[in-house]
Amino acid sequence: MLTKIRSTANIGLTTIPIDVEVDVATAGFPGFTIVGLASKAVDEARERVKTAIINSGFDFPPKKITVNLAPADIPKDGAAYDLPIAVGILIASEQLPEETVFDLKKQFFYGELSLDGTLRPTRGVLLLALFAKNITGSQLFVPETSANEASVVDIPVYPVPTLHRLIQHFIQIKPLDPLSYLPIKDALDMEPPEFDLAEIAGQEQAKRAIIIAASGGHNMLMFGPPGTGKTMLARALPGILPPLTEQEALEVTRIYSISGLLPPGASLITKRPFRAPHHGVSTVGLIGGGSNPMPGEVSLAHLGVLFLDETPEFPRSALESLRQPMEDGTVEIVRAAGHVRYPASFTLLAAINPCPCGYLGHPKRECICSQRQIVKYRHRISGPILDRIDLHVSVSVIAVDKLSQSLKNNPNAITSKQAKTLVVSARAIQTKRFTETKIYTNSQMKNKDVKRFCVLSPESENILKLASETYNFSARSYIRMIKVARTIADLDRKKDILPTHIAEALQYKQMV
Amino acid sequence: MDKLLDLKDIPQLADLPNPPKQVYFIGHPTKQLFDNCVAIVGTRAITEYGKRVIESLVPKLVFEKKVIVSGFMRGVDQYAHRTCVENGGKTIAVLGWGIDTVLSLEDKKLADSIVSHNGVLLSEWQTQRPTLWTFPVRNRIVAALAREVYIIEAGLKSGSLITANWAIKLKRKLFAVPGPITSRVSEGTNILIANGLAKMWCGIQQPTQKSSDDPILRALEQEPLTIDQISRNLNKPIAELGASLSLLLLSGQIVERDGVYYKK
Repeated sequence: MLTKIRSTANIGLTTIPIDVEVDVATAGFPGFTIVGLASKAVDEARERVKTAIINSGFDFPPKKITVNLAPADIPKDGAAYDLPIAVGILIASEQLPEETVFDLKKQFFYGELSLDGTLRPTRGVLLLALFAKNITGSQLFVPETSANEASVVDIPVYPVPTLHRLIQHFIQIKPLDPLSYLPIKDALDMEPPEFDLAEIAGQEQAKRAIIIAASGGHNMLMFGPPGTGKTMLARALPGILPPLTEQEALEVTRIYSISGLLPPGASLITKRPFRAPHHGVSTVGLIGGGSNPMPGEVSLAHLGVLFLDETPEFPRSALESLRQPMEDGTVEIVRAAGHVRYPASFTLLAAINPCPCGYLGHPKRECICSQRQIVKYRHRISGPILDRIDLHVSVSVIAVDKLSQSLKNNPNAITSKQAKTLVVSARAIQTKRFTETKIYTNSQMKNKDVKRFCVLSPESENILKLASETYNFSARSYIRMIKVARTIADLDRKKDILPTHIAEALQYKQMV
Repeated sequence: MDKLLDLKDIPQLADLPNPPKQVYFIGHPTKQLFDNCVAIVGTRAITEYGKRVIESLVPKLVFEKKVIVSGFMRGVDQYAHRTCVENGGKTIAVLGWGIDTVLSLEDKKLADSIVSHNGVLLSEWQTQRPTLWTFPVRNRIVAALAREVYIIEAGLKSGSLITANWAIKLKRKLFAVPGPITSRVSEGTNILIANGLAKMWCGIQQPTQKSSDDPILRALEQEPLTIDQISRNLNKPIAELGASLSLLLLSGQIVERDGVYYKK
């Protein structure tokens, strides 16, 4: 007898429906074949399914079994087809009555089986749920440990602990309870930030700079000796970014779901991601890849922060590969398996030491680098990358005895909560300004947008012109200064860019 | 471009107990070039302080039509050469290696600009490779050529102290620039002054300026500060302070180097 079970395949973030066709023939030698561009992991499903069926108290039919994963020309990977294959065999071998409880066109099965018949956490459940949402009346049967991912989508989701329980559900001995729908809004709770700005002593200018970076979505470079708090500042950035919207939370969670990075039982990513890849990362690790292309660090940092500590130590090729995502907010990966596009719209935070040993210009310690080493070190970050970084800030050494006193009675003291309020209101101004365009933040403005939205008063323009002559600005840095000034004006809730805004923006000009 | 000027044309070298046997040049040496020389030497690990000293000392010497002699090393030496050339002065670089040695790209640029400003590079060797002993040997020529020797910054083991010793032996006028006692690269110069071996050079005496009304300028008159330090000292919001500093920078009242602000 032949039966068809529905499941899905994920290519990148695109979900494609897959029909798992199972035929248990009445004639022919006993055997078990899976066809339809199955990868090794899918092919091995034979042994898992066979053992799981037997260990769940059913018979594995000693007949010729053929499984076809249609459409046959799309490569299929992963262990998610174990469950549909097992259910298919049970129906096709007539151990499970098809007619009463099954509406196979609308029921999706997805999950990896373990030999004893329990279901293991399987990645990509959220993508399946989002896809199934478009089909009215659909139901999902997914592993219990991964089911929470799907709870944010408003469709019936059945968490399945074991194959045996699933069958009990169908023969209506002991029905499963569908997951209760969890509205995303409730999940988007304001969690306390990992690092509060108030915990960082000194570094007044750097703190101001990350508030500006968060408000305008600007990329930022921090320059300073080791141990001055660059990493702490970076870790404080996600805490002052505006909270994720519903749509954004789903977008981020999709990427984590497909990467299998959601912890078992987790439902939705509610915090903006913070990714800090080590400088040994390869190009593929950074932008994504693999024969079945998986998201890289840039996509995992989507709508959050990508922090590169000791940026010049990263392989040059890896750094250069950041250009496309920094420009377009997406990354395209082309591999034999196909052409995949992942979102990668992140705020880049780069930290660099002044020299390889780190102590150039340190008031107490001596630098041991030669001039040549220093020049070579700084040239590792190419011009095109530096050009895409709007804010450059130097993080200075702070004496330990100053740390305690700097907190009291200080006009620059600010907590992450206060900073977040500033950022949210500056973002609101930008959203309003850019309603008719396709951009969201000041950093995304192209030249024509700058001309349209950033009107400089004559006095402001004079300052900028004078600065541009004094510091030899390129046309690009000129525009960059205006963008930063626009964000500062937004933080100040001013409609026009005033001379003080331009003057402050000049503080963050390129240094290296 | 090597040319051999007669050693008799540089009579100062005869003061040495072991004068060079010959001298090779890059550039166009004239007899007059060696008449009125002042040596400026110091550490390779130059600090911002050292740079600022050179920026105030060299233009004054160039204005007095002095020729700056130094050792063409990174740090104080090259900064002195460069500042001299930028101010339109003539300078002599005494190399610590043979004249035929190929220079690195950056050194070559400086060498070219020295020559184009009628300065010269000279060496007593033709093909000698730079080794540990060549630099101290070279220092005796630097001291001998000059009438006055200024030590800008020097650590306790700095080669500049060898130049200083030669200057004392050859009875040249020796000046040392005092530095903070916490700075390693001023230990050598401070000791020269403390032991009475060198005269203290205290900078160009400027007419006393009226103290400024701007609190930022007043703070910077005391000592160089970073923006974070200024904001702590004056208890000012960082955004406002940043804007004021940018404007002061543009109007040329202060300068900034590696995040530290100095009053001009």
